[in-house]
Amino acid sequence: MNFKMLTGRFIICMNMAFITVLLSHAVSARAQEEVASTLRHYKDQEVITGYYEQYEVMARRQRPRIASPPGLKRTFPYSQTAARVRIRTRLADSHLGIKFYDVLRCEYCHAEQTKDIHSVRAIITCRQCHGGEPIASIGHAYSLLNPIRRHAYVCAKCHEGANPSFATYVVHQPEAGSLTAKREFPILYYTYWFMLVLLVGTLAFFLPHTFLVGFREIVSRLKEKKTDEQNAIEHKPADEITHIDTEDVEDDQRDIESKAEDDITPVDTEDEERDDDRDDNRKD
Amino acid sequence: MTTEMTTVRIRRFNTVDRLFHLFLMLTFLVQSATGFSRLFFTTSWGKSLGQAFGGYETSVNIHKSVGVLMIVGFLIHTVYLMSRVNWKNLPKSIFGPDSLVPNLDDARNFIQGIRWFFGLGSKPTFDRWTYWEKFDYWAVYWGLPLLAVTGLMLMYPLAAARLLPGWTLNIALLLHGAEAILAASYIFIVHFFIGHLRPTSFPMNEAMFAGSVPLEEAMEEKPAWVERLEREGKLDLVNSKPPRRWFRVIYYVFGYTAVISGIYILINGIINGRTVGFH
Repeated sequence: MNFKMLTGRFIICMNMAFITVLLSHAVSARAQEEVASTLRHYKDQEVITGYYEQYEVMARRQRPRIASPPGLKRTFPYSQTAARVRIRTRLADSHLGIKFYDVLRCEYCHAEQTKDIHSVRAIITCRQCHGGEPIASIGHAYSLLNPIRRHAYVCAKCHEGANPSFATYVVHQPEAGSLTAKREFPILYYTYWFMLVLLVGTLAFFLPHTFLVGFREIVSRLKEKKTDEQNAIEHKPADEITHIDTEDVEDDQRDIESKAEDDITPVDTEDEERDDDRDDNRKD
Repeated sequence: MTTEMTTVRIRRFNTVDRLFHLFLMLTFLVQSATGFSRLFFTTSWGKSLGQAFGGYETSVNIHKSVGVLMIVGFLIHTVYLMSRVNWKNLPKSIFGPDSLVPNLDDARNFIQGIRWFFGLGSKPTFDRWTYWEKFDYWAVYWGLPLLAVTGLMLMYPLAAARLLPGWTLNIALLLHGAEAILAASYIFIVHFFIGHLRPTSFPMNEAMFAGSVPLEEAMEEKPAWVERLEREGKLDLVNSKPPRRWFRVIYYVFGYTAVISGIYILINGIINGRTVGFH
């Protein structure tokens, strides 16, 4: 009896201790989160080399989880070989049956997928998001990158607090102006072409425009010089020009220039004089 | 040039306008340098440009901080803009000749300008602002909010994803880059040419730094403006002193530094342009 009670108490104590340990772990779980709230160069912190032959497990031989619906097998002949090649969206091992898979590298087939910001700037390797071998198809129920859990299992590794909406960011974005983009990401495609037309249009208008402004100014300056020289030959002082058309800019300017040469008087008086002159001319 | 300095000058930009321009110049140059260093990160030029700002991460941080500064500047400018509108005389104030809002005269001047380019007519008689100066202003004014919104989205992607679907970040990144390239190429080619290289401005159009222009220059470029001031009897009110010699030296050095850095970024951007894709 006494022994039984002791055993019982011991078991209860052990259970309590176990629960306490579990709880303490739950409390300190925050400390175990990956320190990655900003985009970091992953290679700084991880020891993987990026070459998967060196550390990855090779692809396993596994049958695809595809079967023709019962009863339809005879009506629609089903070829497993064909299905293996063509339907790869829901496989446990998406690379199943690919010849020489063991010796290939990811970018051998997925070259386009290595050009995005995550690969080029953050230097994240394929396996860091897609997981190790066998790499499941994204549509597979247990895949890390299945849309039901990718925000928590993949994105949140670096982007702390990622939600499902955040995970709809297209990591392997097609080239913005390409026809692939038109098919897969039309808004991106039209944004790209809108901005490109805006850029090319603005420059196509303003480059010739500014050039022509400059060109015309040179031409009118040369003309001005010519007329000035002619005036000098005729010895006709600018002050004696009685008729000044108010809209003729060149004449106005010559008038002012000649005045400025004559006497550099304080600003205000000269201005008044000039105003008077102009008014008189108008009355005439 | 020396005689021009002693004659009548007309005030064109007040101190606040000039400070806004100076602020925009500095922030725009820093943003284009840090932004281009990020865009061209995969090239050696982009890397070395990033090094000048303390490496990739630091230059991105500078880009973000200066971006926030620009947004604040934009908001202050908008408040200032509202204060400049004469609310009692609203339509006249907005569509008047002193306003930067495009009006019918601009359309007329534009058509006349096209005729002038091909020798079919005389030079359009501009008032205070030419139509291309107005375009300059509004190009920045609509470009800044676009860069600000997309920039903030990219700065706080998680918050942005709570308000919008996550794939809008792809669009935001594309828009931010494309608008930046558009703004940089416009400023570094068109704006710099108008301000420095064309015969009337060469070697530098000092109006934005000195605040005033010689009357001769104004009469040549903006005859309608001078005429209007004369007609309204306001010509005396806008007489202003010529800039001091030391001040001129400073803004010449500063302006040319800006031009050289801008063209440096532009040329290297064009050289390395092929290596950057919009992925």
